[in-house]
Amino acid sequence: MHRVSDSRVIDADLLDSLTVPARQGDYARDSRAFVRIDTSLRVYWHTLFDICPGLLELSGPDGLAIFRPFMTWADEQKLSLNWTYYLWVDVWLQQSAFRDQIEVELRYALMGASAARWATGDRSEAQGIVLGAADLPNLVCGWKTVTLEGGREIEQIELEAPLPTPDGSHGYFLVPSRSLDDGFPGWSPIPR
Amino acid sequence: MRIGFNYTLGDTAPLVRRLLDSGRIDYVELLIDNFLSVPPEEMAQGFGAPVSFHIMFSKFIENDDAALDSMAIRLRRLIDLLKPLYVSDHIARFNHEGRQLYHLAEIDYITDYEQVRCRVDWWQQKLGCRLHLENYPSIMDGGRDAPHFHERLHRDTGAGVLFDVSNAVCAHLNCGLPLEAWEGIIERSSHFHVAGYNLSILAPHLVVDTHDRMLSEETLGFLERYRARFNTAGSTMTYERDDNFVETEIEHDLDRLRDLFDRSSVEAFDAPRV
Ligand SMILES: [Fe+2]
Repeated sequence: MHRVSDSRVIDADLLDSLTVPARQGDYARDSRAFVRIDTSLRVYWHTLFDICPGLLELSGPDGLAIFRPFMTWADEQKLSLNWTYYLWVDVWLQQSAFRDQIEVELRYALMGASAARWATGDRSEAQGIVLGAADLPNLVCGWKTVTLEGGREIEQIELEAPLPTPDGSHGYFLVPSRSLDDGFPGWSPIPR
Repeated sequence: MRIGFNYTLGDTAPLVRRLLDSGRIDYVELLIDNFLSVPPEEMAQGFGAPVSFHIMFSKFIENDDAALDSMAIRLRRLIDLLKPLYVSDHIARFNHEGRQLYHLAEIDYITDYEQVRCRVDWWQQKLGCRLHLENYPSIMDGGRDAPHFHERLHRDTGAGVLFDVSNAVCAHLNCGLPLEAWEGIIERSSHFHVAGYNLSILAPHLVVDTHDRMLSEETLGFLERYRARFNTAGSTMTYERDDNFVETEIEHDLDRLRDLFDRSSVEAFDAPRV
């Protein structure tokens, strides 16, 4: 069974809607465009809540009280939704109605998720990333896999002497080899 | 027909080893850019079986040249060392206006053609080998332009098609593109993919490429009808699974594929010469 629609719609026509839940409503529920946008949005949803299920305790089981307003905000702020996705969710949460319910563990989980996304998705020669948050004491490191059968590794580091505070909400630096012996090169602001 | 299984990262390594040990697969398709941080010598030991390379996130159509140059150097080293059965990459859109698309978008096969052609030429030169480019599991109407696009791209750049059989079935069910439209491409291709897909939750007349379940009857029927054309000298068929790793299901599908192509090679042998 193929639905005949009078006008031709190609994937590229939907690009502006693929990350914005509100724009899905521009299309009929049983149209291919609606399903296509839904397929796209679902991946962002799962990428967030499958990795950080602690968020569902704030939002309720469908996640929508976080997902919808965050994605709208991300669109307004022109966020890239690259590996920093989870860090920007943290930033959004801090200025949302959920502000007072966020536990430190959830914030570290979001940092760990971003470090992991960098470690599996980055294609540069860097081997690791170190993340810091302006108002949290510990660092979170993500390491790319060094074996065929292994995977990326995430660790939290407690410092004896604290590093300077990053300027924005978070900062990061890249590590060329699998060690932190080269010292602290300074924080880079996280990309939008 | 050599039958393979995709390996993307970590967790499924024991499964891959068991499939190799039981003789169900002959090679492993590596999502190679996930392993650029692994020392090449370690990669060369690998699974002790032939490999093929599937490049996922080069984003060679839209990425900047410096990032691609660096990746190409590391990929070439692996190509030289591991001598993969084929090297494949993706024709898709990974970003839109600076925003990452997590479910990759389909390009506009007509207006994007010239740009893609230039980038394919350039990327093949950088990698020093012929690329096999995979067809997209279309949902929207643009999918109907895909076979002509791939034929033209092959003619202009020499790139092959990594023909994903179940992606073609998805495009058939979603946008009505006849499976026969791919005949010329199947004829010329030696490297294939196959996987399960799922019905859309919202609209079960549509299907979404999910790689999380067994092969559909439509896919098996398509393979059966064209099995002699698929099964040529040096041909490969990678069974893809990225979620819901039910080993008995995977084994059953691989056994069905093996059986199907074993039969076609007997027929091809017996067929009268014309
Ligand atoms: Fe595929």
